[in-house]
Amino acid sequence: MKRRGRGMATMWYPIGFTVAANPSAAVVKVNEDGTATLLTGTVETGQGSLTILAQIVAQELGIATDDVHVVSADTDATPMDTGAIASRTTYVTGNAARMAAEKAKLTLFEIAAPLLGVKPSQLEAKDHKLMVKNFPQRNMHIGDAANHARMVSGQPPIGAASFNPETVALDPETGQGKPFGTYVYATQIAEVEVDDETGETEVLRIVASHDCGTPINPMLVEGQVEGGVSMGVGFALEEEILFDANGKQINPNLTNYIMPTSLDMPEVEVDIVDNYDPTGPFGAKGVGEPTLVPTAAAICNAIYDAVGVRVTTLPATAERIFKLLQAKREQQPKQLGTAPPALPGGPSDGAPAH
Amino acid sequence: MVTVTLKVNGKTRSATVPPETTLLRMLRDQFDLTGAKLGCDVGDCGACTVIVDGQPVNSCLMLAGQSEGCEVLTIEGLADIDHMHPLQKLFEHFGSLQCGFCGPGVIMSAKALLDANSNPCTQEIRDALGGNLCRCTGYSKMIEAIKGAACIMRGEELPAVK
Amino acid sequence: MADERSKVADRPDILEKPDILRPPKPAPLVTFPIDVIVPEGRQQTPAVGQRASRADGRLHGLGQTKYIDDMYLPNMLFAKIKRAGTGSARIKSIDTKEAEAMPGVVAIITARDIPCNSFGPSLQDQPVLADTRVFHAGDGVAAVAAETEQIATEALEKIKVEYEVLSPVLDPLESLKLETPGVHAPSANVYGHKIIKKGDVQKAFAESDRIFEGTFRTQMVEHVPLEPYACIAQWDANGRLTIYSTLGRITLGRADVARTLGIPMSRIRIVATVVGGNFGGKNEIRAEPIVGLLSKKTGRPVKCTYTRPEEFYASTTRHPLIMDYKTGVTNKGKILGRKIRLVLDGGAYCSWSETTLGKACILSAGPYNIDNVEAEAFVVYTNKTMTGAMRGFGAPQVCFAYESHMDDMAHALGIDPIDIRLMNAFEEGSISPTGQKLHSVVAKESILRAAKRFGWNGLGNGNGSDNGHGNGNGTGVKA
Repeated sequence: MKRRGRGMATMWYPIGFTVAANPSAAVVKVNEDGTATLLTGTVETGQGSLTILAQIVAQELGIATDDVHVVSADTDATPMDTGAIASRTTYVTGNAARMAAEKAKLTLFEIAAPLLGVKPSQLEAKDHKLMVKNFPQRNMHIGDAANHARMVSGQPPIGAASFNPETVALDPETGQGKPFGTYVYATQIAEVEVDDETGETEVLRIVASHDCGTPINPMLVEGQVEGGVSMGVGFALEEEILFDANGKQINPNLTNYIMPTSLDMPEVEVDIVDNYDPTGPFGAKGVGEPTLVPTAAAICNAIYDAVGVRVTTLPATAERIFKLLQAKREQQPKQLGTAPPALPGGPSDGAPAH
Repeated sequence: MVTVTLKVNGKTRSATVPPETTLLRMLRDQFDLTGAKLGCDVGDCGACTVIVDGQPVNSCLMLAGQSEGCEVLTIEGLADIDHMHPLQKLFEHFGSLQCGFCGPGVIMSAKALLDANSNPCTQEIRDALGGNLCRCTGYSKMIEAIKGAACIMRGEELPAVK
Repeated sequence: MADERSKVADRPDILEKPDILRPPKPAPLVTFPIDVIVPEGRQQTPAVGQRASRADGRLHGLGQTKYIDDMYLPNMLFAKIKRAGTGSARIKSIDTKEAEAMPGVVAIITARDIPCNSFGPSLQDQPVLADTRVFHAGDGVAAVAAETEQIATEALEKIKVEYEVLSPVLDPLESLKLETPGVHAPSANVYGHKIIKKGDVQKAFAESDRIFEGTFRTQMVEHVPLEPYACIAQWDANGRLTIYSTLGRITLGRADVARTLGIPMSRIRIVATVVGGNFGGKNEIRAEPIVGLLSKKTGRPVKCTYTRPEEFYASTTRHPLIMDYKTGVTNKGKILGRKIRLVLDGGAYCSWSETTLGKACILSAGPYNIDNVEAEAFVVYTNKTMTGAMRGFGAPQVCFAYESHMDDMAHALGIDPIDIRLMNAFEEGSISPTGQKLHSVVAKESILRAAKRFGWNGLGNGNGSDNGHGNGNGTGVKA
């Protein structure tokens, strides 16, 4: 018989390296037509980081995403970057990119201010223009300012900057310190259907509510959550590397290492929690890794809700759940009106403390 | 060595290759059509999916010699000088691809589906993609894009995006 | 024209290498619309918050993106690596003569050819190629460069390696015991230890109404990026090495290549512009020094792509964890103290184990206000595949433990899983187990939003099970 259950899990996850310096540097050049080029050492691993960085630079300069060309991942041509790791790119590289864009923007403000008859601090960059705050009709196109900077003032608008999150080393005896600049939080709730005769579990639905600070690009955040959940489903139910007695892997192939296909995936509903982190670029934090952190727990809690067995070893394959169901049935007394079954978790579970 | 002549993306192509060469390797190494990818080389991941005589095929499981006289369609043959294929357009619009490595294979599987079924439901789309592994996206936005492409190909308006 | 032809005819050394005379490969036959339409989302200002499509997304869909394996340099050779195939062994001899004599095989290297055969992001215990000892079945023992990938793969079979097979250490709990022989003897098996102490857990347990204990275990999994690891090396006459790679950390990669090959950093250029998925498995060098050396030895560019099986056993994987939790709570569900012990299976080499150890330990108590925490974590060597960075660095494992544990407590106490979490979760300004004051905290908001969206409290279809809630688990949860 198929039984349904729901389960939830909440998590926290840090952004950036543990204590250790993990700087990123960036260079932004504004071209004479008001578009810009960003140089970054980060590597686009598929998550869309280059688009995010383009959006951050574009926001700072008041131009559009498509106006920013990103050059990346060349040790000759791009400034150093600690790497696309630890969900740090939006936060650390993003901050560096924003600061670099800001420096280029300030050069443009210096150029444009006398032309508009104001001080640089009175200017803002919006809609491809450098305009006087509160008097947008007094403006000049950012391209004109950049062209003027190069051709007349002799000051090409280039900004370079780097960023590293502030941390405090952990005490070796007590672990006390500030290991990370910021953290993100998330909750996932899973609905599953478990066949109580075979142990097979199907994940029907997952609701994922994730904090990422300001979502620079909500579509890409959704993509990360959907992809992370698929990894989480695999971790919870299917994936496992097996070894023989010599330490050799038994299943180093995709026939016998089972990972989620389109047929294994549930409906994933993504919810982005409203939040703003002042230490991040335009309030953004990050989202790459957190997306798969709570999934296995949510699924296993849902399995417990459905059929009353507690999975303590992953993956929760049908065989494992079947064995747990068998054990549970054997424990259950056959007559009515006798003691309830033992609680999960171990002999001291629920015992009063002394 | 074996000489193979076939139609690839509408053009007659020919190559002389060792007999154990797969269709995948011939496409990539001889014809420089690197869209079909080598993800596992044993037919598990679907990154090498191309359409042979109308059927989606793992080209790593087909010998080059077996494709003699066939009509093969690869990802490079979908767009033309004027338009991207609706699948390609909507995959871009919905952000369906992240690292992109599985993309050509997925799109070819989707094309084969839409050629046979102009109004597939979600489950039918999941079935059609069942042989294409993706580690980045969780498949959600691919399904959305394929539904949208089916709409456009039926000549209908695209329903409002969420 | 005639002059040019006669000059070449006088140069027999050029004629012997007709590859040099071969014209460059034709341009890819990828048609694309010449009228470039820029999607609206990419043209909007302000840019932050836009659902802007990705510029590379268009290229991916057209099949235009060139990954490392799609790159073909003129005169390029293909490299493959021979793997040990056994978890622990001494290498007695390596005989490459028969392989070297194979037609199409151009060069073979072993550990002896590597100037500095150790690297690693924290402990430099990882060899480029195994020299006298094998520590996991995926250790490389020799590498071949040949005219085609197939010849290189066949040459591996002809390389004869004599092993003295040793008994591998496979169980991390066995490895933790002092009497177990050190995998990397004389160093101990425990190669990392972290401890977090806040408040007084024993006192907290004494004051608790109930104590709960649980042990949780997670398995080894792999990143499975659809694109297997790949790199290409090419030298120029100034002694400058260019490496195209799927590597995710090019600055570190450059430093490690400089170290292993013994050349200055300024002579190395690493380009990593397009990657087909990383997830942590491509965060340190793999075959870069190998292709660098083979390229130097042969004077030709050399490409090495991992096979899918190599992606499993010759690159890093996720640390399996064994997690012991003990939590003291009031009858109302407020957590007073939590004690945690984590044992990480650290595989054959350190790789990113130190980071994983630290993160797992710091995150292990969960996003909850607990005044008294003791978390201790160990990472041990085993003769299994190297465990390294993988999306989450220990967080998915400990979250599985602390959230399963939390539900066990909720059920035993008769409290709704949502309520017990709301009672204990971090808030703005909460203090973490390491004493950090947290900002931008939205743990409770995420719980409430998820619950509402899901329909946890009977709204929508949250309780749409066939037989109602709590049925079948015997613990009487209030819906």
